[in-house]
Amino acid sequence: MVLNLRSPLVVASGPGGMGEYMEFIDPKALGAYILKTITLHHKEGATPPRIRAGKDFVINRIGLENPGIDTFVEDTVAGKYDHLFDRVPVILSLGGDSPDEYKEIARRALPIIDRFIAVEYNFSCPNVEAGGLAIVSDRMVLKDIMVSIRDILKDTFLIAKFGIEGIFVEQASEMVKDTGWNGITLINTIRGIVKTHDGYLRGGISGAVLKPIGMRAVYEVRQRHGDMFIMASGGVYAPGDVKDYLEVGANAVQIGSALFKNPSIIGDIHEGLSDKSS
Amino acid sequence: MHRWENKTIHIKKRFKLTDDTYILVLREHIDFIPGQFIMIENPMATRKPFILGYFGEDTALAIQVKGKGTRWIVNQSVLKAHYPLGKPFIPPQGKGITIVSPASLTFGCSMFRVYGTDVLLGSRKEILTDIPFTYVIGDSAFADKIREIKGHYDYYVVNGSRGMEKFVYDTVGEGVFVSLEEYMACGIGACKGCAIQTKDGIKHVCTDGPIFRGDEIWF
Repeated sequence: MVLNLRSPLVVASGPGGMGEYMEFIDPKALGAYILKTITLHHKEGATPPRIRAGKDFVINRIGLENPGIDTFVEDTVAGKYDHLFDRVPVILSLGGDSPDEYKEIARRALPIIDRFIAVEYNFSCPNVEAGGLAIVSDRMVLKDIMVSIRDILKDTFLIAKFGIEGIFVEQASEMVKDTGWNGITLINTIRGIVKTHDGYLRGGISGAVLKPIGMRAVYEVRQRHGDMFIMASGGVYAPGDVKDYLEVGANAVQIGSALFKNPSIIGDIHEGLSDKSS
Repeated sequence: MHRWENKTIHIKKRFKLTDDTYILVLREHIDFIPGQFIMIENPMATRKPFILGYFGEDTALAIQVKGKGTRWIVNQSVLKAHYPLGKPFIPPQGKGITIVSPASLTFGCSMFRVYGTDVLLGSRKEILTDIPFTYVIGDSAFADKIREIKGHYDYYVVNGSRGMEKFVYDTVGEGVFVSLEEYMACGIGACKGCAIQTKDGIKHVCTDGPIFRGDEIWF
């Protein structure tokens, strides 16, 4: 299975919400838009405060706030996201709180699965107590989940999103290959903590500080798997960042927190990449 | 037709309202409804939200310097920003008053201009410029003024510190609306970062607000 994107630029799951940034993006500049992670059940998300920023990083603990898969399917069938599907290829992001949830959500997504060019499974959210990082730390459980999902979503381009915690990216990429999945996203946020005026905020770190870490992850996986589809994610703010990731082996590059700095950044980077003199 | 614009704005004039709060008068005219806000780029990794307003006939922002990002913003002549964001405030019937701190004086001007509300400025610091509204200096004078005006208006819109908003709500009760400030990243409802816990569950300041009914809020 092959995923051909019209542009290597992809909006990352999470910061991109449910398509809101298309107000600022020329569809021609975008390869795909990955929606916020949907879980089996509705999640209200983490107790506020949820987000802070420094000069080179953002820390968040959104906690996967989402309507749950059944509402999401109903909304999709009702046309709520048609404005997005009409303009850009869309990738569905799914997550769960337990092995059974990871599998069940795949079944529940089946009625609308053809609307998406791929599904990215979030195996690395640092902001939920179960699922995410807790799942990847048990290789047997993770493998069982991935084999089952592959069986349920037989014809879907499946991408596994891993961070650098809970599992080495080299091991994660072997798991992707062994279970017949089609691609890997590297990396997710990394757990961090910052002081606030009235305490501490624990969450996932994103932003420019992640780029060298993401570069290394992509590099290591590309060295081992010449033909694996790799989506890079972490610290992409400029055309040069995209070129660097493509050079170490990424097939596509996600842009997330940089949208907070400049909501038109996809177009700006696209223009920069098209400019032969840059 | 896009709902929001990401553009360059130019500062036509800046002056101090208090020792730490500046009025930035924009060269551009921005179409907005009172209550809506703007996200401004700065050296930090996320843009910062400021409620849109007027000073005289011009679109203007009141910005209190709280840290590196706001200090940088008040010293620029050209800024990148997206706007107008948030839910427009549509007042109830009757006569209203807008109660502001220095950092929301321009919002007060917009409420006066668009909805004809009275405006009261409460400040802990000396006011350094002429303003066409009543103002009081200090907590005690502010408290006395709020007790004095209680019952004189059909609605009260408060945009200031959480303490100021709580005092007005506790004193006046029904008919009070408050404009909330929460750390934001996107300003457009995408990231879900500006969540607040209300009596009706989680809400988001950027899309459900920034102005809420006082009785929705856990002060």
